[in-house]
Amino acid sequence: MASALTLLRRLYLSIYNWIVFIGWFQVLFLALKALKESGHEHVYNAVEKPLLLAQSAAVLEILHGLIGLVRSPVSSTLPQIGSRLYLTWGILWSFPEIRTHVLVTSLVISWAITEIIRYSFFGMKEAFGFAPSWHLWLRYSTFLLLYPTGISSEVGLIYFALPYIKASEKYCIRMPNKWNFSFDYFYAAIIALGIYVPGSPHLYRYMLAQRKRALSKSKKE
Amino acid sequence: MKVTLVSRSGREFIKGGLELNDSATVADLQEAIHKRTKKFYPSRQRLTLPVPSGSRERPVVLNYKKNLKDYCDGNENSLTLVFKDLGPQVSYRTLFFFEYLGPLILYPAFYYFPVYKFFGYEEKRVIHPVQTYALYYWCFHYFKRIMETFFVHRFSHATSPLSNVFRNCAYYWSFGSYIAYYVNHPLYTPVGDLQMKIGFGFGVVCQLANFYCHIILKNLRSPDGSGGYQIPRGFLFNIVTCANYTTEIYQWLGFNIATQTVAGYVFLVVATSIMTNWALAKHRRLKKLFDGKDGRPKYPRSRRSAIACSETLVASSAGAQPLLSPRLWLPRRRSAYSIVLYC
Repeated sequence: MASALTLLRRLYLSIYNWIVFIGWFQVLFLALKALKESGHEHVYNAVEKPLLLAQSAAVLEILHGLIGLVRSPVSSTLPQIGSRLYLTWGILWSFPEIRTHVLVTSLVISWAITEIIRYSFFGMKEAFGFAPSWHLWLRYSTFLLLYPTGISSEVGLIYFALPYIKASEKYCIRMPNKWNFSFDYFYAAIIALGIYVPGSPHLYRYMLAQRKRALSKSKKE
Repeated sequence: MKVTLVSRSGREFIKGGLELNDSATVADLQEAIHKRTKKFYPSRQRLTLPVPSGSRERPVVLNYKKNLKDYCDGNENSLTLVFKDLGPQVSYRTLFFFEYLGPLILYPAFYYFPVYKFFGYEEKRVIHPVQTYALYYWCFHYFKRIMETFFVHRFSHATSPLSNVFRNCAYYWSFGSYIAYYVNHPLYTPVGDLQMKIGFGFGVVCQLANFYCHIILKNLRSPDGSGGYQIPRGFLFNIVTCANYTTEIYQWLGFNIATQTVAGYVFLVVATSIMTNWALAKHRRLKKLFDGKDGRPKYPRSRRSAIACSETLVASSAGAQPLLSPRLWLPRRRSAYSIVLYC
């Protein structure tokens, strides 16, 4: 019984990881194609569908962590996925005016390369039980460049979207109301920008520690 | 006897160690360390027995009242201890005073001063009765807390790291302002009269009950500040270990029923989860300590820690058990009393 469950788990996770991998591969392919053929203003339109799908699928990973299907703690996956979903749905999808910005290209490419490496790495481990050492190296080294480029793109896009956020009044809740609650999406965006200030170095340092651990462990084996 | 002190990295902390009387207590050792190092006053020192490297055991922290001899291995007249600097410390009284002072001052500021001008609202506003009662309720609550800090609570020897002052003040002062902003807002919408009365009435009853719980807890400890743990008995303590937290949680519920703001309910949820964590830890600690052996009484089985359903949610989110574990959801034997406090 136990081994059948383990097998089922491996099958499910393999399928999940490889499907999302294909999604991100599509994103990268379509992004580069649009960049070459039409210019950076058209990248978003080319990648919108696979991007929304692949990024939203990541919500399942929170579920996986909660039910114990994977070992990663919810506390580290939640902020990561949270910021991705915020950018994808809360900025890019919600405010079309920002979609033509050049930072969309750098964002999408940074995310896509990172995720392609990550999902194929897990896909390999679940399906075949191992992953080659170069793959491990890629997974724990590309972030050194891609985290700064990705984070800068995220921060830049939020910042440049601010005038559109303020003007549209989208997602704002005003007083008076029965629950005496108010929410201003513009100020929330400013707070989000503020969170990047301590959040980014913290995340980067965490990844550096993970890298040290993972690469030294593989050397020992 | 000779005491050798090492830091956690293994380096010798005091060159040559310290020489003390055979009958010396840990407190004497702490004094000696303070004399030698000037900077490390006793409440900043954490002294533990060395743990073999690779061992996952938690190190034994030395009790300041005990004799050093009690920690020596067998016949040996020397001791090696691990020293850790806990950083600058403040007394709990200082910590509590400053964290409670914020809400006591900031909330009335939103009520009395034309603060909302800076948020773009006109100066003229109508003040509803519920907003005035909320002000009295809130200020009474934090005034009570400060009074209890100085005249009721008996803290054990412990102090708290200075960094906690900033962390705790940020928590209390931010939430205090957040709630005060909405309850005193010019566009505030009051609830019906009956709901307000039920909310405040229930809240006041819980605050009184909470005060009584604090009195009971105070009487468990002796005035000389030696701390220690006893099994609390009587009143709501027969049903829950941390009746003081239970009454505090329900008291905030009363406030929120009367004032009805999302900000207040958010605070309730956060405060409840924090207190539930504490209650679970204290419940476990008391159950472990009062195991019925060596003349110690056995901790009553049927007691819950604070509020049953929030326990399971907090325990599962803390990773103690995944949400889908069957142990979490199968019915457990309950006493009749504990049904009363299930939410």
